Amino acid sequence: MIRLQNIEKVYRTDTIETLALNSISLDVEKGEFLSIMGPSGCGKSTLLNIMGLLDAPSKGDVRIDDQTTQHLSDKQLANFRNQKLGFIFQSYHLINDLQVLDNVELPLLYRNTTAKQRKLLASEALAKVGLTNRIKHFPTQLSGGQRQRVAIARAIVGRPEIILADEPTGNLDSAMGNEIMEILMQLNKEDGTTIVMVTHDENMANKTHRLVRLFDGAQVQ
Amino acid sequence: MYRHLFKLIWNKRKQNSLLMSEILVSFLVIFAVFTLLVYNYQNYRKPMGVDYENVWVINYDGDIGIKDNDSINIFYETLRRNIKSMPEVKEVVFSSNNIPFAPVTMQNGFDYNNKHISHVNSYTVEDSYKDVLNLKMAEGRWFNKTDAVTRYQPVIINRSLKEVMFGREGAVGKVYGEGADHNKKQVIGVVEDIKFKGDYAEAGYAHFVRADTASFRWLSRMMIKVTSGADATFEGRLYKLLAGQMKNSNIEIEHLANKRKNINYFALVPMIVLSIVSCFLIINVALGLFGVLWYNISRRRGEIGLRRAIGATGKSVSSQLVMEAMILTTFSLIIGTFFAIQFPLLNVFNLSAGIYLTALGLSVLFIYLLVMVCAFYPGKQAAAIYPAVALHEE
Repeated sequence: MIRLQNIEKVYRTDTIETLALNSISLDVEKGEFLSIMGPSGCGKSTLLNIMGLLDAPSKGDVRIDDQTTQHLSDKQLANFRNQKLGFIFQSYHLINDLQVLDNVELPLLYRNTTAKQRKLLASEALAKVGLTNRIKHFPTQLSGGQRQRVAIARAIVGRPEIILADEPTGNLDSAMGNEIMEILMQLNKEDGTTIVMVTHDENMANKTHRLVRLFDGAQVQ
Repeated sequence: MYRHLFKLIWNKRKQNSLLMSEILVSFLVIFAVFTLLVYNYQNYRKPMGVDYENVWVINYDGDIGIKDNDSINIFYETLRRNIKSMPEVKEVVFSSNNIPFAPVTMQNGFDYNNKHISHVNSYTVEDSYKDVLNLKMAEGRWFNKTDAVTRYQPVIINRSLKEVMFGREGAVGKVYGEGADHNKKQVIGVVEDIKFKGDYAEAGYAHFVRADTASFRWLSRMMIKVTSGADATFEGRLYKLLAGQMKNSNIEIEHLANKRKNINYFALVPMIVLSIVSCFLIINVALGLFGVLWYNISRRRGEIGLRRAIGATGKSVSSQLVMEAMILTTFSLIIGTFFAIQFPLLNVFNLSAGIYLTALGLSVLFIYLLVMVCAFYPGKQAAAIYPAVALHEE
């Protein structure tokens, strides 16, 4: 599903050159639930951003669904992200000025869907994460766990094949974290969604199919 | 997408109210400036109605120390003959003080067909007035000697007054006024509009009455049409002639073309001052808008990053921000238009509705352009935000 070949990422300033990822090669199979672990600054999020086409590698090739992404235009990349990928972030990234339903509808705004379809799909996604009774609320009126569930609903509303989650339980207590993890595992099991999750939590990582460890930008496991 | 943007704007109505108020105030000021400019421009485009080149004005003190009417008439007729005998002089006319481009106004009002017509400029002129100023007749004729003895007082009106009094009907022969016949006025001709107050002023309503033998007692302006070769030497000779004959009078010779320049200058000064003030205001508003939009983008980097992550292109993020600014502008303009439209509806300042509507259209266009220009660069910057960086910052 996702194939990374000899990925390198170098951040350059006028004086310093930092190697964030060093020759990473990784295959993620369709329907797999993969977790990435490692200490802070080891390049986990950078790797996830490269997989999510939010960042370009300095070297190497990223193939998703057997399609190389190196030469895609801005429009093609945006379309690719919209159709194939769903994102979940540690800090949720919800728009506080929009109600829950509108937040969930967001990815569908960049597709040719009618308002009626958007509402229907967003309601279904919210039902899946158990937030049907909160659709008229604003994010600031929700708890951290509820916000993350809204973010998950937003990630799955477009029915993407891949979900990339960057420390989805990082801001939550263990009970809330477990709830979120359950939802992700359910999505993986029932819908066959491929999930790549960055986490600091060993327990959460142990619940996934496979664990990849990074250290100083290199893959150590 | 529009629905989404409306929702976003509505939910942020408190934050947006300041920006909307700023746009509203700017719109109202711009509307005032454009109204003045359109009014002046429309007047400027209309023909002047008089030929002011080679026309000289002689200001004199009407009191020449003679009491008897006949003697006064003989004095001025002699003066006229002497002036006309100079080879550079083509024609001479005596007139009331409100000659073209003079800061003197004589107005009255009257009722006609149950309609009150006010601000009608009244000019007392002689038969040669038309030739000196090369006036164009639209209907009927100018005064001549046959108008000395008539049942009604003969008058000539301008086209604007004719239209308001008689519409499309012919005006010649129409009688108006109250009381005895000799107090009533009969229109004998319609003259094309004359912009007496310069290029930027409207002609207004005007009627001309014929100077009679008693008029010399109070008339104190003379206009002479001179040949194109009339120069300072001639002016000196003319002054000598006048000073010799009108010993007790203060005499001043002016050129009508210069008087036009002067009166235009007085019309242009407020326009220039207002334009400069509004330019500063526009710069302030532009900087304010630019600042607010720039600040919005910095504040919304996370949202911009998210939108890019879920499928928005850089271009669509940029257009979204510009569209948001345009929608806010539209709300402000709707409120502003409500206030602006009251001016033609209530006939404020007695200007035609066309002037207000043109100014309204121009102001709307100007504000949209201003906002678009101010939103364009911040929008472009937003498009350049790298999603991974923006999401990481949040």
